[in-house]
Amino acid sequence: MATATATVVPRAEARVSHGLWRDAARRLLRNPPALLGLSLIFLFVAAAVLASFVAPYDPLHPDLRSQFKPPSAEHLMGTDRQGRDVFSRVLYGGRISLLVGLVSVVMGVTMGGTIGALAGAFGGRIDGFLMRIVDVLLAVPGILLAIGIVAWLDRGLPQIMLAVAATNAPIFARILRGSMLSIRNSDYVIAARSIGASTSRILLRHMLPNALTPLIVAATLALATAIIDVAGLGFLGLGPPDPRTAEWGTMLTGATSFYRQAPWIIIFTGAAISLSAIGFNLLGDGLRESLDPRLKK
Amino acid sequence: MSTDSPLATARPATLAPAGHGDGRPLLAVEDLLVRFRTHEGTVHALNGVSFELAETETLGLVGESGCGKSVTSLAIMRLLPKPAGRIEGGRIVFDGQDLLALGDAEIRELRGRDLAMIFQDPMTSLNPVLTIEEQMVETIRAHRRVSVEEARKRAIELLGMVGIPHPETRLRSYAHQYSGGMRQRVMIAMALALEPKLLIADEPTTALDVTIQAQVLELLRELTANSRTAAILITHDLGVVAGMTQRTNVMYAGYIVETATTPEIFANPHHPYTVGLLHSIPRLDQAQNEPLIPIEGAPPDQRRPPVGCPFAPRCAWRLEICWQEMPPLAPIARAATAGRVVTTGPEATHRAACHNQPTPAEAEAGRPLREGFVPAPPPGAVVEELAAAAAGEEAFAEEELVVFTDEGEPTTAAGEARGLPLPPEEGLDGER
Amino acid sequence: MVKYIVRRLVLAIPVLLGLSFLVFAFIHLLPGDPAVSLLGQHATPDRVATIRELLGLNKPLYVQYLDYLAQLLHGDLGKSVINNRPVLEEFLRRFPGTIELTIAALVIATGIGIPLGRLAARHVQGWIDGAATVVSLLGISIPIFVLGYTLQYFISVQLKLLPTSGRIDPRIGFELSTNFLLVDTLLAGDLDAFVDALRHLVLPAIALGSIPLAIISRITRASVLDVTNEDYVRTARAKGLTERRVDSRHIMRNAWLPVATVVGLQVGGLLAGAVITETVFAWNGVGRWVVEAIQDHDYFVVQSVILIFALIFLVVNLVVDVVYAFLNPRIRYT
Repeated sequence: MATATATVVPRAEARVSHGLWRDAARRLLRNPPALLGLSLIFLFVAAAVLASFVAPYDPLHPDLRSQFKPPSAEHLMGTDRQGRDVFSRVLYGGRISLLVGLVSVVMGVTMGGTIGALAGAFGGRIDGFLMRIVDVLLAVPGILLAIGIVAWLDRGLPQIMLAVAATNAPIFARILRGSMLSIRNSDYVIAARSIGASTSRILLRHMLPNALTPLIVAATLALATAIIDVAGLGFLGLGPPDPRTAEWGTMLTGATSFYRQAPWIIIFTGAAISLSAIGFNLLGDGLRESLDPRLKK
Repeated sequence: MSTDSPLATARPATLAPAGHGDGRPLLAVEDLLVRFRTHEGTVHALNGVSFELAETETLGLVGESGCGKSVTSLAIMRLLPKPAGRIEGGRIVFDGQDLLALGDAEIRELRGRDLAMIFQDPMTSLNPVLTIEEQMVETIRAHRRVSVEEARKRAIELLGMVGIPHPETRLRSYAHQYSGGMRQRVMIAMALALEPKLLIADEPTTALDVTIQAQVLELLRELTANSRTAAILITHDLGVVAGMTQRTNVMYAGYIVETATTPEIFANPHHPYTVGLLHSIPRLDQAQNEPLIPIEGAPPDQRRPPVGCPFAPRCAWRLEICWQEMPPLAPIARAATAGRVVTTGPEATHRAACHNQPTPAEAEAGRPLREGFVPAPPPGAVVEELAAAAAGEEAFAEEELVVFTDEGEPTTAAGEARGLPLPPEEGLDGER
Repeated sequence: MVKYIVRRLVLAIPVLLGLSFLVFAFIHLLPGDPAVSLLGQHATPDRVATIRELLGLNKPLYVQYLDYLAQLLHGDLGKSVINNRPVLEEFLRRFPGTIELTIAALVIATGIGIPLGRLAARHVQGWIDGAATVVSLLGISIPIFVLGYTLQYFISVQLKLLPTSGRIDPRIGFELSTNFLLVDTLLAGDLDAFVDALRHLVLPAIALGSIPLAIISRITRASVLDVTNEDYVRTARAKGLTERRVDSRHIMRNAWLPVATVVGLQVGGLLAGAVITETVFAWNGVGRWVVEAIQDHDYFVVQSVILIFALIFLVVNLVVDVVYAFLNPRIRYT
């Protein structure tokens, strides 16, 4: 019996890590709020991808004969001042919001993750220096930093992505550093070190995968914030340079002057922003619960 | 009273406590059933526990973690975690009052005043943001109409009593400024502040350094003896019970499996589990070269309703009947009961719940000595098939096999052997 | 304790320097020629030369930075490119409006968020817990501008319950002294004006407070639940204390600590959110001023507001950390 146990140990280890993700996926699929979030995200992604097939009208084409038409069978979400179909614009707008949101979060994770991983892995002076930079960026409240960056670099989608990424990056840096630090001193890393594993192997194989869990959760939740921030920049007039572009935030700004006549523009556009944010928030919370088995109710 | 408890039949009609004036014990726990409703199923935490405690008597509750000793104490305090923990049957009579029938306000009156409790970890059991003074004064003032100043004087007196130097100044400190042993002394002082009739100490020394343990135990013994406070000492360590309590209940899987005076338990264990416990601790009176014998396997999964004796899967003495029927807690053959079972005091009747009690020689040896005796295999299960299936299991295969056959639920084992599906969430979950 | 505060202050120094460099870079490292960026493409070469001189753009970069630091230490935040007025002066004139709005939002966020979180924790998995979960989900998911316009449309336009925008009815006249309208109206003894200012404040404060409300109610719930499962709470019950006492003295005393930290962190979000809220509700404060300044390319204003908001955020969190240390004996006595 004893020998049998000894021989299966390596396989058992592989199974445990494999089982962790499978267990997480199973828990996620049993979590109704997370499923709702997933479906919302799926809906918005599908709408954005298929916009050119689904949209009944050209989102950019003005039609002066049908200005401010309330929602009807013809125009599901009504029309705006230029007579453009709001439904079509919401669909196309999702492309920008989701894409810019996604890219900026990926950029933020890459930038912040690198800083945090370096700080957490090396500690000492490097850690102190990098974390002071993070502190500086964190001190500038949220969207104000993004506003500053876009005002500085001028309007444009890449600038918006960079701006939103810069507001997220310090948060990711802190999360990754925190989990790396706690893992650095954990028994299994000490054990790996004691059997002579190389630094890079410890870093990549033992520390990173375990530090990643909180980062994945944070990134999902950050997608919600990113979508809101991108729309916020658009709302403040810092959206895409071409004012005709279908972008949720810009669409809102354009509609605010007329919301007594045409409240539907704000309502539907606002609902699109909010629902996509709700989707990512629900998924993020669900991921947090399912990736951390200790949180089980 | 519920009749479905296996122990209901075990209690003769003429139970009587001994050595007590009005014939009434201080505490009588009768057929206590406690269940925990969790997302993973119902945990059968206590399955009909009955025992009594006379005034000033000290009782040990001994068993592995999860055997129900802490649940028993929390049930007496009515502090089972809500809403999961439920008392689903039985009675707890304390000082003439049915504790389970009391309202929230009435049980609160008793807590801290007549019924006091000391918990395992003194670090986490004291509030970190309140001074020791605040915590002691509030305890006293919750039950006595005294001024803060009077309560403070009493607190100083108590701290002095438990051996804390400079109690006047130490009173103003916070828990984190005390050492572990000192913290437990504070807990003891707080528990004894209102001279309770019953003190329950739940593993009071487990979290402490070995060197401190003896001091704290000695303090507990001295104080309860001086104040003639009845005490229940909960521990997984039979060694702790030895010098501390007059009587001992050995618990397993939510049952009391053996009860006797403490010296009797040590001298004459009559349950295989007690024998196992005694052989797994080092004893001074044991020959030096005699090896410690661990108890194989793990306690059963209490999410399954018990069938048969829960210890059977780990038992070297098990018979066929052990798989089917929980034996009653009955006086051992040697006990001269004369039709009367004594439940408390130094004359308490030695009782054990076992179909096949070890003989004194077997107890001494720690294994059955009968010629050709083989423990009865689990009924219905084809053992070889199970073993073969288990050999294919990775991870914790060995332990899982034991737990699996240990379930004490022959239907499941049989079902698996015949290739029937297991109910979801049960069996060898996730590893198939 | 003193050591702790000193340590925190020392740690703040590099952050302040970094921050000053960040905002310095904002102007002096503008892409292209900063002077042209500041003045726009159509500026006369004369004006460009003047601005270059004024900013010291001809000097080496580190001299420029040191000059800027010296300037900051003298409280000189530069002048608005638009109307040539000192930025600090204008900031101080507008800031009371933002403070009023931010504090009102914080009052709503804590006043509703904390009790909601406590209730949810006490009735875990009950309907009130579910409702609190939904409220906090909506709070963090609905952007301020969407919530703001929705409130405006339904509460003000449709139901006519509250004014749509502005800080006070422009027809009301009274003397401004502090620029805090709630204070000024009371000083003027004009109760009607006070009520009017208060009515103007409600919707913006709700819109701005929605996010911190969501976050605070969540953290309160989690914190109370954590503490409820602590051993010392069981000890408190075992001592025979009443539920009320267990709750106020043993649970809340400990549960406050993480909540306090989170409330402090919300101040940053509130200041940033004020930029959007003030735009939605035509609220005359610093936030709206920044948005106008961005559109006017008035970089000194943008730069200064970023600097001051970040400073406020740092100071508030320093204070919160000190208060936290004071509330928490485990830090106080080490």
